[in-house]
Order: sequence, then structure tokens, then C-alpha cells
Amino acid sequence: MDLNQPAGENYANPKTCFFHVLFKAAALAFYILSALFFDSFVIIFVVTVVLAALDFWVVKNVSGRILVGLRWWNEINDQGESVWKFECLDQESLARMNKKDSWLFWWTIYLNAVAWIFLGIFSIIRFEPDYVLVVGVCLSLSIANIVGFTRCRKDAKKQIQQFATQTIASRFSSTLQSAFSVV
Amino acid sequence: MSHSDTIPLHPSSQSDIDEIENLINASVQSGPATVLPARPPSPPRASIPVSSTPFIQSNIPLPTYNKPPVVPAVVPAAVPPPLPNSSNSSSTRPSIGTSGFGSQANTLTEPVWDTVKRDLSRIVSNLKLVVFPNPYREDPGKALRDWDLWGPFFFIVFLGLTLSWSASVKKSEVFAVAFALLAAGAIILTLNVLLLGGHIIFFQSLSLLGYCLFPLDVGALICMLKDNVIVKVIVVCVTLAWSSWAAYPFMSSAVNPRRKALALYPVLLMYVSVGFLIIAID
Repeated sequence: MDLNQPAGENYANPKTCFFHVLFKAAALAFYILSALFFDSFVIIFVVTVVLAALDFWVVKNVSGRILVGLRWWNEINDQGESVWKFECLDQESLARMNKKDSWLFWWTIYLNAVAWIFLGIFSIIRFEPDYVLVVGVCLSLSIANIVGFTRCRKDAKKQIQQFATQTIASRFSSTLQSAFSVV
Repeated sequence: MSHSDTIPLHPSSQSDIDEIENLINASVQSGPATVLPARPPSPPRASIPVSSTPFIQSNIPLPTYNKPPVVPAVVPAAVPPPLPNSSNSSSTRPSIGTSGFGSQANTLTEPVWDTVKRDLSRIVSNLKLVVFPNPYREDPGKALRDWDLWGPFFFIVFLGLTLSWSASVKKSEVFAVAFALLAAGAIILTLNVLLLGGHIIFFQSLSLLGYCLFPLDVGALICMLKDNVIVKVIVVCVTLAWSSWAAYPFMSSAVNPRRKALALYPVLLMYVSVGFLIIAID
């Protein structure tokens, strides 16, 4: 039974993809359109920042896991130092991840950050420090996710390489042993 | 291995490598062919079904996995990672043969509702540790081990909203000022401690200063509801003292004892200014 459709045909987790995009788009749209409808900065600030925070949580905890099989967080160990932990699914599952899902995941988080940078530049040009605050908060949240997941992916690749070399090395050594024992 | 809708947990690499080596060695040994039995089916390594609709709580077959995520270090290492000995590691681990990988992969495949519950319970426990009297205050480093920034975020926004609501004019500016003051203040206070040579972790301290705003939140709420000046002054003084008492052990233990006052004074100053903001709003 083939659970995953052939890669490139369909999203494997449409609901997750939807939510992944939903909060980002909602935050951006609300920020851009709100100036037309609302006079009060407070509402714009709170709603945009809450949407951005929800998006951060969804990406970090839900869509990162389900779409690309990665996760990162920070812990403080017994010596009181902060340690960044990265986690990934094992290699078979990673290979089975839908290509379209991960394409969507990575592109939307990059595009989101770029969009916020543009909006920030606009608000700086228009001398609106309040709005720079909003943009600053949203931008820092998206950059945090980008950095976290990129490091996690690099770490995952490193781990897989290490694992592969170890397996190959151990098999190689046992094959050598067997070769010598036969002789 | 065929799985219908399960993602297998990552098997313990060490045991797999051992098995592979055993098989290779056994097959190469000359003499009476001792054929190993076929590899037994994997012990129940908790193939947790991944719910395709992530927002529905799925029934996890092994509920003992749902515990606070004391997750050991990273995944496909050949050496089973050492289990961290931190305060929220729970008692029994299900004996499945894979030492650390059980709970670890579980956080990758757990349903969303579990993540939400875990985060919410973390906020509540952090709040209790910081603001209310409890035995862990003696060792501040351990207390806020699991820092998180959601609690502080809620409290700062709540305080800003309350102040803005109480203000009769210039509501937007009040909110923006309150938010910027608290956020920038927390960052600057943390930098202050770091520059004084203290040992504190940036996010931990931000988290702490945010949680210590909880009493002031309560005070602002009361002041919003009851508009009498005398009541306001009393309430603000009480909550201010409570906030400072909450922040004191963490800040003071982070720096050299001779510099304690230098680290604590700006904290008190910030909370006093927030208190004045609460009283002065009308």
C-alpha cells in the first residue's frame, strides 16, 4: 500500500500546509489592510502580533514536525548553560517526506521574512515608529524560525552522514575480518 | 517493513548495527551452518500512528510516553545519549529496549493537542515557580530551567491592554509606550546583569522578568475596576512589593554579591515606573 502519492503530485498533509500558510498570510494581510479600516493602533498591534506569535508556534511545533520532520528547542542543562537541541526523524522517514510539502514549508518561511522586511522599509520611510515596532516583532519571530530550522536541517544532514559512515565502516571492518578468516 | 499509517520510531542504531554484524558474522562462519533464525519481529517499539488530521487528538497506544519532554540529545547517533538528570524527568520509563529514543521521537510524532497542553502546563508551572512561594526559590538556576516566552508575552500584552483601556485619551500611545517600555526594559536589564559579570542566560532572564509582571497585571486590573486613588496607591504598593520579591532571588544570585545592588536597582526602578504608570492613568 502506498500511502504517499508519487512525489510532486499532491500535498501529503494539506491541512497542515494550510495552517502553515494561514497565520502568516493573515498577519500580513491584517497589517496591510488594517490601515484602511481601523483607526486604533492598539488593535492593529495586538492582532498582528498575536497572529505572528501563533504562526511562530504553529511552524515550530506543528508544521516543522509534520512537513519536514525537524524540530528545535533550547534547554538549560544542569550546569546552567543553554543548549540548543535539534531533532529529526530517522532517515527512512525523512526520505519519505513529501517533496511538495517541504518545498512549501521552506519557501513560505523565507518569503514571509522578505515581506516583513519590505513592510519595515516602508514604515521607516514613512516615519511611523509605532509600525516599525510591529514589523520588528514579526520579523524577529520569523527570523528565529528560519535560523532554528536551518540549523536543524544542517545538523540532521551531519548526523545522517555520521551514521552512514559509521555503518559503512563497521560493515567494512567486519567484511575484512571475514575475508581474512576465510583465507 | 510496511506500515499502513505509522511512522516507525527510529530504532536504536546500536542494536541494529549489532544485529547486522551478528548476521554477517554468523553467515560467514564456516563449519556447520548455524543459520540464525529469521530476525524476530521488532519488539513493540511503539509505532505511533501519525494522525493525518493533526488537530484531532489521536489515541496513543502507549500513554506513558506523554510526559514532559526531557529529550536527550540528537538523533541518529550510534551511542545512546545520556539521559539528562533535570528536574522534570519523570519516574518510570517504559522498558522497550530503546533507551532514549522512545520519548524523543514521540515529540516528533505527537498530536498537536499534546503540544498545546504541554506548553500551557509549562507556562503555569513557570508562573508558580517564579511568583508564588515555593521550595525551589533557594536555587534559582534550577527553578526557571524550562524558560518560555509565551507567559511573558501574554502578561506584557495584558498589561498594555489594561493600561490602554483605563486611559481615557491617547489609548494607542499608552499601549505602545507600555509595551515598548517593558520589552526594552527587560532586554536592557538583562544586558545590565551580563555586563556586570553575572552568569545569567539571556532568554531565561527575559522570561523571569516577564513572569514577575504578573502581580502588576493583577494590580492594574484592580485599578482599572476601582477608580479610587487611595485604593490604587495601596494596591500598586502591594503588587510592586510582590513583584520585587519575586524577582529578587534570581537577579541577586546571578551576580557577584558586591554588585547585587547594582543589578537589583534598575529592576526596582522599572517596576516602580510601571506602578506610577498604573496610578497615574485616569
